[in-house]
Amino acid sequence: MDVLTLAMWIGTAIFLIFSFAKDKKKTKQALKMAFGMGKSMLGSILSIIFLIGLILTILPPESIAGFVGKQSLLLATVVSAAFGAITLIPAFIAFPLVGTLVHTGVGIVPAVAFLTTLTMVGIVTFPLEKRAFGLKFTAVRNGLSFIFAIIIALVMGVIV
Amino acid sequence: MKVIRKAKENLFIIFIVAAYIAVFIINQNMGITSVKNSFYYIKEMIMIMPVIFVLTALLDLWVPKEKIMKYLGKEAKAKGVVLSFILGSISAGPIYAAFPLCAMLHKKGASVRNLVIILSAWAVIKIPMLLNEMKFLGFEFMAVRWVLTVITIIVFSWITAKIVKNNDLPQLKANQNGPSINKSACMGCSLCAKNYPELFEMRDKKASLKTTNGAIDQEKLIQAANSCPVKAISFSEDK
Repeated sequence: MDVLTLAMWIGTAIFLIFSFAKDKKKTKQALKMAFGMGKSMLGSILSIIFLIGLILTILPPESIAGFVGKQSLLLATVVSAAFGAITLIPAFIAFPLVGTLVHTGVGIVPAVAFLTTLTMVGIVTFPLEKRAFGLKFTAVRNGLSFIFAIIIALVMGVIV
Repeated sequence: MKVIRKAKENLFIIFIVAAYIAVFIINQNMGITSVKNSFYYIKEMIMIMPVIFVLTALLDLWVPKEKIMKYLGKEAKAKGVVLSFILGSISAGPIYAAFPLCAMLHKKGASVRNLVIILSAWAVIKIPMLLNEMKFLGFEFMAVRWVLTVITIIVFSWITAKIVKNNDLPQLKANQNGPSINKSACMGCSLCAKNYPELFEMRDKKASLKTTNGAIDQEKLIQAANSCPVKAISFSEDK
């Protein structure tokens, strides 16, 4: 286990001990919620992981990097952003995946575009959002999020 | 019928298993590589997922959400923006869990702009996730992306509020009598079923109401509704 993960475990453990000392009942409740959330997501998370494993065998990160590298930056970024918008991958799997891709040479700009639209734009959740806020709000929010995700990515390409 | 329903629910899992069987038949080496690839992510998941879930639940518990929400409707200016960012980034659950909560906040007077901020912050700015991002992509990457994202959200929430007006949003219908569950919000944490097992049960990974003849214990119902992390349980309070 690397230092950062270890630090997170220790930090969380300390937080948990304080929480228990302050309010035992509420802390138990929070833990139950964390456990329940994890359990209900486990099946789909494992399926996504095995799907990623399969895709990375058929399309190794090196060939993805080679392919993305050949395209124009803007096209690669827009396509990555579109991928992020239609897929539903939990962020804690997306980070190691994008980490692998960036380390094998996929540019940072498409990577950021993918990460940002992955969480901010939801094609799959669009109907749910529409029901809560109406079509106009949902379309404007998702549309602007998509455009600004690309802007964030391009600016990051200049800074980092 | 039950078999078909179960199969439908787990269609994705069945598809993955079938794909793996096919790959192993066609090319065994490819199958082995795929499993090896997957195990790298499973290892990462096991190391990080428990911490993220527990940390998220603890933040959700200790940051005074109720207080933040109370001020959100009234404070339209800078304070509202800051509060919206805080509320979005400390809450637990996936983004679809934020929809009903935000709809409720809108009913209580939160502006369109603040709704956009809460939803966006909910999606991208999670403290445990930032730590995870730092681990795989480095501190500089995480910090720069975080700053840019915050600036961006401030800008486009303002644009959204210019385009979308309050009355473009659907007006929520009044609650019917008795408790009800907003199933699209439920993320299956099963707290309600644990708090009030006589009334709530888990069906297809979502909370649902049991059909009981017994009287409803109002106190237990309130406790269960309050414990719901996405406020998916509603009921008429006068009784």
